[in-house]
Amino acid sequence: MNVEISDLTRRFGRTRAVDGVSLQAGAGVFGLLGPNGAGKTTLLRMMATVIPPSSGRLRLLGRDPGGYGPRREIRRRAGYLPQNLGYYPGFTVAEFVEYFALLKDMPPRQVPRAVAAAVEQVGLGDKARARLRTLSGGMLRRAGIAQAIVNQPELLLLDEPTAGLDPEQRVAFRALLRGLGERSTVIVSTHLVEDVGAACSEVALMDAGKIVFRGTPKELTARGERTGAAGDAPLERGYSAALAAARSAAAVRS
Amino acid sequence: MTAATDAPVRHRPPRAGGAVTLTAARLLRIELRRSAMPWILPVIAALFWFDSYRFGTGSPPYWVLRTFWNMGQGRTFLDFAPFVVGVAAWMGSRDGRRGTADLVAGAVRPRWAVQLAAWAAAAIWAVGAYLVFVGVMFAVYARQGLQGSPPWWWVAVGAAAVTAFSAAGFAVGAFFPSRFAAPVAAFGAFLAVIVSDQNGFGDTSGWPLILPTNANGNYQPVSGIFYPYLPDLPIARMMFLGGIAVAALGLLGLPARAGGAWLRRAAAVVTLAGVAAAGTASGLARTARLTPHGMTIPALHDAASDRPIGYTPVCAQAAGVPVCLNPAYRRYLPEVAADLRPVLAQVAGLPGAPARVAQVAGRYTSGMFENQTDVAVTISGTPPVLRVPLDEFNTLPSATPGSAAQFDQELPLLSVHAFVGAGNGAGTTAQQAVQAALLQHVGLPFATQVQALAIFGLPPWGSEYLQGLVSGSESATGPGSPGGPVYAAARRFAALPAAARHAWLATHLAALRSGELTLGQLP
Repeated sequence: MNVEISDLTRRFGRTRAVDGVSLQAGAGVFGLLGPNGAGKTTLLRMMATVIPPSSGRLRLLGRDPGGYGPRREIRRRAGYLPQNLGYYPGFTVAEFVEYFALLKDMPPRQVPRAVAAAVEQVGLGDKARARLRTLSGGMLRRAGIAQAIVNQPELLLLDEPTAGLDPEQRVAFRALLRGLGERSTVIVSTHLVEDVGAACSEVALMDAGKIVFRGTPKELTARGERTGAAGDAPLERGYSAALAAARSAAAVRS
Repeated sequence: MTAATDAPVRHRPPRAGGAVTLTAARLLRIELRRSAMPWILPVIAALFWFDSYRFGTGSPPYWVLRTFWNMGQGRTFLDFAPFVVGVAAWMGSRDGRRGTADLVAGAVRPRWAVQLAAWAAAAIWAVGAYLVFVGVMFAVYARQGLQGSPPWWWVAVGAAAVTAFSAAGFAVGAFFPSRFAAPVAAFGAFLAVIVSDQNGFGDTSGWPLILPTNANGNYQPVSGIFYPYLPDLPIARMMFLGGIAVAALGLLGLPARAGGAWLRRAAAVVTLAGVAAAGTASGLARTARLTPHGMTIPALHDAASDRPIGYTPVCAQAAGVPVCLNPAYRRYLPEVAADLRPVLAQVAGLPGAPARVAQVAGRYTSGMFENQTDVAVTISGTPPVLRVPLDEFNTLPSATPGSAAQFDQELPLLSVHAFVGAGNGAGTTAQQAVQAALLQHVGLPFATQVQALAIFGLPPWGSEYLQGLVSGSESATGPGSPGGPVYAAARRFAALPAAARHAWLATHLAALRSGELTLGQLP
């Protein structure tokens, strides 16, 4: 398993952003759904080793990121696209991707080819020399994805990767995700359920820091059948139904 | 809850070894390309031209004088400091402002190393620009044929100061990543250099000597001409500035996000080493003492630095007496010989009259060379040599349009003053009267002498004389007004035939010099 999480918790003051989550994932595209504030981003940041967990067990790519050496090795083999992608406006697309390739400790001689391939994969080949400040929001998002995949990561963590992408780009991106998922573990945090339906083989639904559903997109769709849950698409209705069920169960428990 | 998919953990081949240097070089290349520092360089260049370069051009053609303003007083560094600090703070706050902290913190390379690459790029631009600007200025000076040698130690101090300030600015930006970090840091740097500059006027000893724009030190007018620039204080300052740079950069490695535990421990050690270096340098500066040739720090001093620079003097004849100068002063030789000719003619053949005129190095007892207390033209040795420290003179002939006339008065006046044995004081009334008579005959009329004496610091309280503050003893009052008893005696003595004056001086010169004669004993 590339991701092994057991009873993982992260607190910010008195708030439990992630509350006792357990998760295992191997190769494939894993969707992480949930409303705003569910804890998806915090979970991804812990998996990206940006912040440490408050408690619980986390193993990534067979290593414990608590140790400095293993953490470096995980980072070397992982890719991460944050929800709010920061960027240096003066950098070109190629420089931005190269910069993070170097920070990921890629062998420097392989970097130029890897950068070109990553930029090409996200459809920014003709914009490689464009300054980031000149790009649209969607193009910036794609530049962010390029830096995440430049090292051909075994664990790819994408936080709202399709935000700002137009429909055509989203379709292309889903195809890219499916390709990446054939050889890597790809965890995609999103609240766009159609992305999950189109690209993910597994899905987990988070609410209030907990995973309240896990299964395949089909299973999530089935949750919404004949329930009268809100939503325009079957998967949306499944999402709403699963969320409502989890919340009523939590209310009963409390 | 648990969700699971099955797939084996794959292992990738180990990364290529020995690539750290190449990675660092590529990171640095990107940072150099995209650093904000080059954008501010045109502004610094303009300021440098207006404030540093132009101010030096009016000085006499000696490296030490021409570069005193921009290197000795650190004016060039002052032009750089606020801008360099501001831009460095801007670069340091970049990850915070741009929201890339997560990306950088989640990378393999420690955040500290990444920050050091960004700082290095900013520092390379800043120091490079400093060296280029100074290099261009020095090239212009070299084409102008300046005499002496360039103050390389002080160029190095300036480069170290730019480096240190860039590091400090970067650290400020990294710890306070807001858009206000840059202007606040720049203003702070401006205040720091201004305070340092003002300390340079007030503090001639103690720890303020370590400040980069403190003008006191071994930037003496004889430096690079008679003696090498003493490296003691520059070394201490570079140690201080290097310590500040190291400490500031070490601080960047202390936060938890900077890297692993060992790296943070290393950063702590680096920080402490920097603080220790800066503290040691400050302590060394407290032990500094000013010698006639510059500031020495016993722990750093190399006696070899005290050895005078060898030279073959250039000579001319004045009234049959050889007048010899340091070749750096060759351009003034005709004027010096011409000014001394009437003086030497007046005293020729007298016992103790100079058999030779030699330029000697000035001796400086206060920190800044404008503040020397008196000009010590002396006659000593066997045969007697008139020793002239030209660098101590109020002005040299070509400094300003009016300076040649001033020099033409000062040199004969000081030479006659030495000849009558008045030393550094006003002399006895008899000495004053003989001095006045001889000056009248070498071309300085009685009417202009009182003012000339005051201007040229004879007696040394000349400025007080002009302000009407001095009264009292004979030795302090000088010859008094042209209508007074001293000038009455001087007129009588000057009216004697040359042969009679000469004969009287031949007989009474020893007594006159020893101060035994009174005004009434003059013929």
